[in-house]
Amino acid sequence: MKVAVLRLALLVVLLAAWELAGRAANPLLAVPPSAVLPSLRDLLLLRSYPGLPASLWLTVQEIGVAYALAVAAGLGCGFALGMNRLLGRAWGPMIAALYAVPAVVWYPSLMLFFGLGAASKIAFGFLLGFFPITLAVLAGVRQVNPQLVLVARAYGAGVVTVFFRVMLPSMLFTLVGGLRTGLALSVIGVIVGEILGSKNGMGALINHAYGLLRTGDYVALVLVTLLLVVGSDVLASLLEHRARRWSD
Amino acid sequence: MRRIALALQLATVLAGLALWELAARAGWVDPLFIPAPSAVARALAAISGPALAGLGDTLAKTAAAYVLSVVLGVSAGLAVGSVRLLRDVLSPYVIALYGMPKILVLPWIVLLLGYGTAPAVFYGTLHGLFPILVLVTGAVRDVDRTLVTVARSLGATPWQLYWKVLLPAIVPSVLAGMRLGIVFCLLGVLVVEMFAGVRGMGYMMGSLANGFQAPELFAATALVSATSIAIVLGLDQLNERLSRWRG
Amino acid sequence: MTAAGGALIAIEAVAKRYVTSSGPVDALDDVSLSVAEGEFCTLIGPSGCGKSTLLGMLGGLVTPDRGRLLVAGEPVTGPDPRRVATVFQDAGLFPWRTALENVEFGLELQGVPAERRRRTATELLGPLGLRGFGERYPRELSGGMKQRVAIGRALAIDARILLMDEPFGALDEQTRVLMGEWLLDIWRRTRKTVIFVTHSLHEALFLSTRVAVMTARPGRIKSVLELAMEYPRSMESPEMVALRAKLWSEIREESLRAMK
Repeated sequence: MKVAVLRLALLVVLLAAWELAGRAANPLLAVPPSAVLPSLRDLLLLRSYPGLPASLWLTVQEIGVAYALAVAAGLGCGFALGMNRLLGRAWGPMIAALYAVPAVVWYPSLMLFFGLGAASKIAFGFLLGFFPITLAVLAGVRQVNPQLVLVARAYGAGVVTVFFRVMLPSMLFTLVGGLRTGLALSVIGVIVGEILGSKNGMGALINHAYGLLRTGDYVALVLVTLLLVVGSDVLASLLEHRARRWSD
Repeated sequence: MRRIALALQLATVLAGLALWELAARAGWVDPLFIPAPSAVARALAAISGPALAGLGDTLAKTAAAYVLSVVLGVSAGLAVGSVRLLRDVLSPYVIALYGMPKILVLPWIVLLLGYGTAPAVFYGTLHGLFPILVLVTGAVRDVDRTLVTVARSLGATPWQLYWKVLLPAIVPSVLAGMRLGIVFCLLGVLVVEMFAGVRGMGYMMGSLANGFQAPELFAATALVSATSIAIVLGLDQLNERLSRWRG
Repeated sequence: MTAAGGALIAIEAVAKRYVTSSGPVDALDDVSLSVAEGEFCTLIGPSGCGKSTLLGMLGGLVTPDRGRLLVAGEPVTGPDPRRVATVFQDAGLFPWRTALENVEFGLELQGVPAERRRRTATELLGPLGLRGFGERYPRELSGGMKQRVAIGRALAIDARILLMDEPFGALDEQTRVLMGEWLLDIWRRTRKTVIFVTHSLHEALFLSTRVAVMTARPGRIKSVLELAMEYPRSMESPEMVALRAKLWSEIREESLRAMK
């Protein structure tokens, strides 16, 4: 109880400090919460950016496609590498090594290849989401107790049955964790891609507002985008809970 | 098994490069977008001067951001981790900030700090700070209570408790955080260089992309990737050296 | 310097209450005991009777709600490594320090110069049966060895009093017996005053000069047995068998009460 009150108090203090700092400083640079609200209202009423729904929808679509591709490829590669010991031991570390490279280095190449449109954002979101999913599937498959598989086989279970009845439940926790991380990263990938250079989507709107020093609109757009990010994570956690209950 | 795996890795890389070279030369892929490895190698030699200068610039900013991240991350982690109330109150905020795409505030940071080095170091620090903070906080929280009791029974002062019990106990987590942190710092610096830079590899790669100079871009990308992998491998070695006691 | 009556340790009407999520718990209620210098005094009793709390109080880590504890005539106000050293059930060795560095730890805290502490610790390795293991890390040591390092750490600071809270509780039967014999040897050589907490009747009878039986919660001293037999003791002698039966009947009553 005390903790909840303190958390709220902290939030209030931060907002108050932001308000004071915003009012004291250059109105172009620092926008206090009181100035954000009218901008937010204008934004949501589609007065400042009538193209908002279209941009939002585009960003959502980019995320959707990027993630779907990442899941498909991640599951496929992860299982292939996990099931085949040799391939897993050979290529697994190579994938892990690529994780040591900041993903943004691939982006200029993607922009060169795919252009400034949605494709490069989808490609980047895919790249970011692919790795955690693959590595999670790989780890999950490795941690399945071989004894369980042996027992199932001894009772006459075929490969498919073994997969669905033994392997999947054993690794569900790791798998779902990886899927959730993958979603978060795909979302970040698409947003980063948009902000670093795009003509459409939320990132483009943000750049537009920032470029014209419309800081109030900029903050409002950021808030809407944040809502998208948080929303996707909440969705993922709900699905995670559903998957847990289903497996128990 | 291990040697076969290594051989397979080598074979994969060589076969991949060979296939790529073949594909480029045979015209299966447009060399404008996907240049042959040989072209990339030539380009690397050609741009080596400016590329190394750019790399040096990026690494300098990364180093500055890294030092700040480690210092801030470890001290904040120690403070938040050891005071239960602080930890409980702040944890949702920290988790939220950790997961938030920080690029959303980048335009505003550039607005405040301008172009060039300052926003890059600031943003790099912001990126690298969080994994270190989270890991150190967790480690402090999870320190074996018995060790603290033993030290107290032997008359340890609070200062001695921090220095001789807490700090050594959290070293593995600090090292893990530092390993994550370097990649995050480099990432942050590169992003800023691409968004609002005038120097450095990020800026260079962005310009090369705009100029459709594919071989040079691939060369630069390879250079940064190799550097990053080398740094992480180096840190891993250091980690191993310092963790003999863990087994 | 000892208090009136020659007692090195005097526990006077001590009480402690803990507030837990399920309500207040009286761990100790009106505990009084005095221990003379050079004694090996065992505290034995059912689980939850407050033995560890009492030891914690003597070690200065727990403060009593009522009553007081005196060591060498002075009240206990906090950990006093010059007078009291504690060994816990969990060896609590610092995993990043070698065995030798662990033994040195208490001396290091007191600012003893490096060469001297290294010498003291190294000399202890012999009696600890750890010669040649000084440079090993805790993860390379067995349970019994780890406890010996922990005891070595307590011995190194050369306090007059050694408090031991079920130090062999986590070890297997054979190791326990051997450790008991070893501890007896150490005690007789160093002439420390030991307060030893255990569940084991064997250990109590084998090691102690007196045994204090504690009641079930809230803990009080139920009875004190004086054991004047020579060391090393034969556990099969008629005298010992009778004592064992007596001790068991006292403890059994309390254990049953604790189980309700």
